[in-house]
Amino acid sequence: MILQIIINGILKGGLYALMAIGMSLIWGVMDIINIAHGSFIMLGAFTTYWLFTLFGIDPFLSLVASMTVLFILGYAVQKYLINLVIRASAFITLILAFGIEIFINNSALVMWTADVRKVKVPYGAANFSIGNFVTVPTVRLLAFLLVIIISIILFYILNKTNLGRSIRATSQDLDAARLVGVDVARTYAVTFGLGVGAAGAAGTLWAILFPISPMMGGILTLKSFVVVIIGGLGNMLGPLIGGLTLGVTEALGSNWFGSTYENLISFTILVLVLIIRPQGILGGTE
Amino acid sequence: MKNDTRNFLICGVLLLAVAALPFFTNNFVIRFATDILMFAIMASAWNIIGGYTGYASFGNVVFFGIGAYITAIMMEKGGMNFAVAFIGAGFGAALFAILIGLPVLRLRGHYFAIATLGVAEAMKALVQNLEITEGNSGIYLPMLNLSVKGQYYFFFYMMLGTLVLTLLVTYFMLNAKFGYSLIAIREDEDAANSVGINTTYAKTMAFALSGLFTGLAGSVYAYQQAFIKPEPAFTVHTTVKMIVMAVFGGMGKLFGPLLGAFSIEIISEVLSNYFLVAHTLFFGIVVILAIVFTPKGIIDLITQKKFGLAYFLQNIREHRI
Repeated sequence: MILQIIINGILKGGLYALMAIGMSLIWGVMDIINIAHGSFIMLGAFTTYWLFTLFGIDPFLSLVASMTVLFILGYAVQKYLINLVIRASAFITLILAFGIEIFINNSALVMWTADVRKVKVPYGAANFSIGNFVTVPTVRLLAFLLVIIISIILFYILNKTNLGRSIRATSQDLDAARLVGVDVARTYAVTFGLGVGAAGAAGTLWAILFPISPMMGGILTLKSFVVVIIGGLGNMLGPLIGGLTLGVTEALGSNWFGSTYENLISFTILVLVLIIRPQGILGGTE
Repeated sequence: MKNDTRNFLICGVLLLAVAALPFFTNNFVIRFATDILMFAIMASAWNIIGGYTGYASFGNVVFFGIGAYITAIMMEKGGMNFAVAFIGAGFGAALFAILIGLPVLRLRGHYFAIATLGVAEAMKALVQNLEITEGNSGIYLPMLNLSVKGQYYFFFYMMLGTLVLTLLVTYFMLNAKFGYSLIAIREDEDAANSVGINTTYAKTMAFALSGLFTGLAGSVYAYQQAFIKPEPAFTVHTTVKMIVMAVFGGMGKLFGPLLGAFSIEIISEVLSNYFLVAHTLFFGIVVILAIVFTPKGIIDLITQKKFGLAYFLQNIREHRI
């Protein structure tokens, strides 16, 4: 029983990690807290929903589509909007992101109404058992593996490519990076695109597993905060550790106190981690 | 000194004009003006911690919710009258600000913002689960025993009085040593510390004042609505509105948030008259444009007397890459 709960927590934690990985990247590199992150996840979910409903495209295939669409969207938002205020206080970008969130959520609401929708794939409820006492939902396991693959790809991009080198250089010192010939405006746009693209992937997986609606973004942004804070910034393993910690704690907590306490548990963890260890479990000193 | 007297006179005349408003308008306008006043209180209260002290609280709605719930519980379960509940709500919210501020105000920048957001969300989740707050079903308050017109007048003047109190306290604070220490903290906290300012005390007191006035607004709001629930009382959107108003009007300026509350409420009202469904969407666009073109707020636009494209373009040139 307890093993089953922990496994459920770990699998849900994988999804949390994927949600947070983009936010962590954007926050760590550009010092932008992307409040609109959950809205981008929602857009990813709806991309998958419409591709499935209108054209019958399998959600796992539409993963590529939603990541591409959101990468382009994120690139454009950073290049033509956020870059305009990037040197103002960090607080200004925070409110700009709020404006973007309001705009995206309400556009979605106008276009698609507040209906709760579901991607009904035949294999949605598929699962298998290990040793007769633990059941593993297949889709969640696949989602978990995808998180790891996407983390590895991002890690590779950041550490082994020229693009990654310019991203890291820009994050260390914007002006110095510019002096040595990095196109910082483009680098920022690509970074935001990558982060939002990862949000798109999270949206696709969310759409396979849970019902979706235009207003789902808010709570997802908050959960992503919790994961980023628990894991700590500036480390690709941070979101994974944070996601797993949150997933397992929520699963255990809901089991002991009841599922209505789930949010109370996550936000209490958030505040406690911030007070006791603001740099996160893996974060270094700032 | 002569300038000060003139400014006081202008403020006095404006205040009298606002106070006379209910006698010349209908209930709809009084109610709308009451809403503007409520948000002006909250934006001004936010300004104390966010604008002057430089600690961008993203959880100030928690004081609003606490003020509203203390009022509801004291009146409905405790059988006390509104005057007692109003004071209780203010001091309850201020006390909460001190308790939560002591650990949370050690964080800086983004981390403080997220921590306060977390406090507000945790508090909402707690209120949704507690028995005394009746969870998600909410609490009814006793109705105010006045005619309809009388009720509109009562809440209008309660909000106006609270706003005047908020602005007066902020004004006197700014001219005292306390106000200077807050601004010193905003500009450079380590330097403020090293010249002997007790930064922990100053920050906590600023947070408590912010909580006090926001709690008072929540108390009047609860009595006005006669029914409160966790979702509107603790919604993060109220915090967003306070901040957007303070920034739109001008952070760290006495009348900035007031101006912001006034303009934002008018803009939202006009938009919702023209666009039934999509008005929030356009509100998002207004926020985006305001941040990009006037990050220093409209009070800067007015006091600098710089209008036209050049002013907006200069703002962009300063902050873009």
